[in-house]
Amino acid sequence: MKKSIVLLLLSIFLLSFSSYIFAGGQEETASSEPVELEFWTRQTQSDRMTTIQMLIDTYTAMNPDISIKLVPVDENDMALNMRAASAAGTLPSIIEIDAEIAVALGSEGILDTDASSALLDRVGKDKFFDGALRLFEAKDKGTYYGVPYHGMIQGIWYRADWFKEAGLEPPTTWDAVAKAAEYFYNPEKNIYGILLGTMETESYDEQCFTPIAMSNNAGLFDKDGKLIFNSPEMKEAVEFYARLAKTTPPGPQTWRARDYYLQGRMAMFFYSTYIMDDLAVFEVAMGSLTSDNFEGLKGAEFDPDLVKNTKTATILTNKKDAGFGAVVSMAIPKLNNPDVTEAALDFLNYLYSPNAYITYLHMAVGGMMPVFEGVANTERFLNDPKGVYSKYGAEKIIEITEGLNKIESFGIVEGNRIEAASTIYSKKIIPQMIYKITQEGMDVDKAMAWAEAEMKKLIN
Amino acid sequence: MNSDSVISKSIFTRGSILEDREKKFGWFLILPSLIIIVSLVLYPIVYNIFLSFFEVKVTGNNEFTGIQNHLNIITDPAFWQSVTTSIVYVLFTTLGTTLVGLCVALLMNRKFPLRGLVRSLILLPYVAPVIAVVYSWQFIFDPVNGIFMHIAYDKLHLFTERINLIRSPDTSIYVAILFGIWKNFPFSYLMILAGLQAIDTGLYEAAEIDGCKGWQKFRYITFPEIYFLLGSIILLRAIWNFNKFEEVFLLTQNVKVLPIYTYLKAFTGIMDIGHGAAIAMIQFILLIGFILIYVKRVLKW
Amino acid sequence: MVTSTNLLKKSIFALSIFIVVLFAIFPFIQMLSTSLKYQWDWGNPSLIPSKLNIDAYKELLNIGQAEKEVPQSVLNLLEENTELSKKQKKEILDKYKSTGDVFPFFKFFFNSLILAFSSAFISVLIAIFGAYSFSRVRYKGRGIIQRSVLLVYMFGPILLLIPLYILSAKFGLISTSVGAFITLMTIYMVLTLPVSLYMLGNYFRTIPYSIEESALIEGCSRFGVIWRIVIPLSISIIVTVFIYAFMIAWNEYLFASVFLKSFAELNTLPLGLRQLFVSKNAIWDRIMAASMLSAIPVIVLFMLIQKQLTGGMTAGGVKE
Repeated sequence: MKKSIVLLLLSIFLLSFSSYIFAGGQEETASSEPVELEFWTRQTQSDRMTTIQMLIDTYTAMNPDISIKLVPVDENDMALNMRAASAAGTLPSIIEIDAEIAVALGSEGILDTDASSALLDRVGKDKFFDGALRLFEAKDKGTYYGVPYHGMIQGIWYRADWFKEAGLEPPTTWDAVAKAAEYFYNPEKNIYGILLGTMETESYDEQCFTPIAMSNNAGLFDKDGKLIFNSPEMKEAVEFYARLAKTTPPGPQTWRARDYYLQGRMAMFFYSTYIMDDLAVFEVAMGSLTSDNFEGLKGAEFDPDLVKNTKTATILTNKKDAGFGAVVSMAIPKLNNPDVTEAALDFLNYLYSPNAYITYLHMAVGGMMPVFEGVANTERFLNDPKGVYSKYGAEKIIEITEGLNKIESFGIVEGNRIEAASTIYSKKIIPQMIYKITQEGMDVDKAMAWAEAEMKKLIN
Repeated sequence: MNSDSVISKSIFTRGSILEDREKKFGWFLILPSLIIIVSLVLYPIVYNIFLSFFEVKVTGNNEFTGIQNHLNIITDPAFWQSVTTSIVYVLFTTLGTTLVGLCVALLMNRKFPLRGLVRSLILLPYVAPVIAVVYSWQFIFDPVNGIFMHIAYDKLHLFTERINLIRSPDTSIYVAILFGIWKNFPFSYLMILAGLQAIDTGLYEAAEIDGCKGWQKFRYITFPEIYFLLGSIILLRAIWNFNKFEEVFLLTQNVKVLPIYTYLKAFTGIMDIGHGAAIAMIQFILLIGFILIYVKRVLKW
Repeated sequence: MVTSTNLLKKSIFALSIFIVVLFAIFPFIQMLSTSLKYQWDWGNPSLIPSKLNIDAYKELLNIGQAEKEVPQSVLNLLEENTELSKKQKKEILDKYKSTGDVFPFFKFFFNSLILAFSSAFISVLIAIFGAYSFSRVRYKGRGIIQRSVLLVYMFGPILLLIPLYILSAKFGLISTSVGAFITLMTIYMVLTLPVSLYMLGNYFRTIPYSIEESALIEGCSRFGVIWRIVIPLSISIIVTVFIYAFMIAWNEYLFASVFLKSFAELNTLPLGLRQLFVSKNAIWDRIMAASMLSAIPVIVLFMLIQKQLTGGMTAGGVKE
């Protein structure tokens, strides 16, 4: 009895294992093409990968001498994997990365700026939003670490109906935000004011902090690359952030806490246009509740008009206007293999062709906005699979896309690239400082002194 | 064990031919393990020690910096903070896991209805993938929606306000320890139960004749019989928990035990392998120190 | 009087069993409960959903899902392409429609199972011989090897990642899916081997030597002794060690994420779950349902082995 079970398990195992090797062996013989590309994408969800694979299939059907392998790499693991691949000599041919990683990798010399220039020439450099392109500019002016592909804008999303009822101004100025956050904050009823990032390891913190600092004219560096972190403007921004963070739900929080907003327990939250998709999902989920279902649910908390009552403020103002967003690029690592680089350029050029481009952007409605003019106003782009864009209306969508032209970053001061800002970003100094202040109760001056010391360590 | 080795001596040291064959047989059996360990563990360790003296660059042009990396680490207060955190974490999870494991093993060593079912149920924490259970824990301790705060704050008024137990710097370590105990006690329980069942029942019968009661039976028979087993379970658990990364990292990133400190230092953003390697070396030395003391004092090797 | 203290003892015993079981399974109850709730119901602290929602399971297991809708942009892309033949277009579209489950559960599960099973099996097998060598065979250098094996184990596995990756890339092992899979399996085996050796060695020493001796005298070979006496006698510890080795591979995330990155078809359950969690609109019911689905098969598997475990102990004649 005992032996027979062991034998059974063993034979199942051997059988499945040999089928593995067999399947693997077959696969290898099939892929002996002249030029093989490896494309690392940040889109790890299987439905998105299917779409990208479809684009690859279409391209390789037209170009049978090129084969492309699609590899999903989580954005947080991208640096780790690039390091390992660089050490092992197995760098991919194309990577989809955001501006901060692009600048960090680029400044270490593993991205091919010539290839980026070549791609910009093919696609047409003039087409791109200057603001988006600027985020990828290398230290040598006019060269780029990557070419912008899609972007998102961040803003404060808020309950317009609550604001109206309380007679509050929309959250576009420091005063309005602080007033509303403190007005709605009511922990006894389990209701909170605003969601800000307060977790130590999340770049979300810095995404929330940047527009606040920028709107107060506070930067990390001056245009010559001198660290000017410890300024009165920066201190005001940090203090303001700490004040708002008091009305955030308890403990360190990150973007995931948007759920509380969907449950009607929060008045405002910093979020990217990605939420448009989330709201759509939420609406679909509620659509499953027919009126019959409502009757049994008297105690349950949920608001059928949530989507309708959600509005967004994409610009924050104090001393000046500031917006924030993130742009994702296609970049080509240095490969020393002209054939592969040429094939990569050709494939990327295809991805920029209008039909392929819109197909790609429609994978993540709201999360992927075009980075050049002449796309957002087309009927094709507005006709997304979830019907979200048409709900917001063409004008609003165009307004959002144009925000990509106004993105500000600590890494660019008066047009000069400060590479050290990327190092500071990727080492998460600002999130750590925010965490120390809001969670560990550290004094603002002390925390800022700590952050300044850490930044100095990284710069030299 | 002593009597065994006497016997084995008597049988196997009878002649030099036999001894030689014995030696070959021994090496033959251990060789596969040795090859694998030397090539896949020893080599990376040596390589790591080598790297710890360099500033490692992505492009491969490493720069020799001597013991600068090591100095940077031991002068970093955050490093010593994480050493303290690690010690607290390892101490409480190890003791907790072993104690809970021992109690459960004692309970389960009896016969009762539905024992098979209960046995399977209490193995669940150990066999479910870490990544599958952390989300459930996060949900339980969620400050706004979680059932824990609902009971402790809304119903029992144990807290004056809603607290984010799993994430706040002051409290997250307790949740991590509780999680560590919950996740790993079944393993200790299994090991201890195997030990308990190997105890000769005749010993208990003899003790009962001598008039020993429950506690005395445990004190004078069970405990001495499983002393070395407990000792090695604690040793293993301590080593495991000292190097534990995933369980803590996926549950809450605010408990900065050493492996997480290493990860944050070496792998986030721009990678810093040189420093990572240096931390690993220091960590290794700390652990060896602990183990030498432990092995001498407790296991009396 | 006797019966009442007996009853008291019995109820205390039953209560302790209940508490232990509740402690062990409460997170699973929460998991099940959340997986069955609608999004608007998460704020409801009760474990019983206000209204049952099995959509998450249906979606994950791909049951009763309408055929995938093809977005207009994809149709445009293919229709307006002049270079491709109709047949090619149809092939591309068919492939598009047939892939892209939200969570290809069975594939992930199968990958994890093979990986964990094979690494644990080989680790235990090699360790049985090694541990026997440690505990029974006498030769020079035994003690040193025995101690250094455990010493090596104290180096945090996280730091082995980069060197091992470079090493396997040098040997070209990670450029094919089979190579990457076998490499990862070997790594898991290595990570568990020292402890397997240590635990088995300790246990083998407790087996009375007289049993082995009599078998030797009866003409059994040394391998025969291992196969017929040592293994059956220590089946319970072997199963325990196997479970340990299996769980390491079953749970592992970091190494898998680096080594299997290029081979989406080989992704394991932890990788799949993590992907689901970091995706922006992953919702709790889906995550919990996926967690539940990942946990159930292992639970069933171990219920089966559990019987073996107790059976082995009595059959092995430890308690005669």
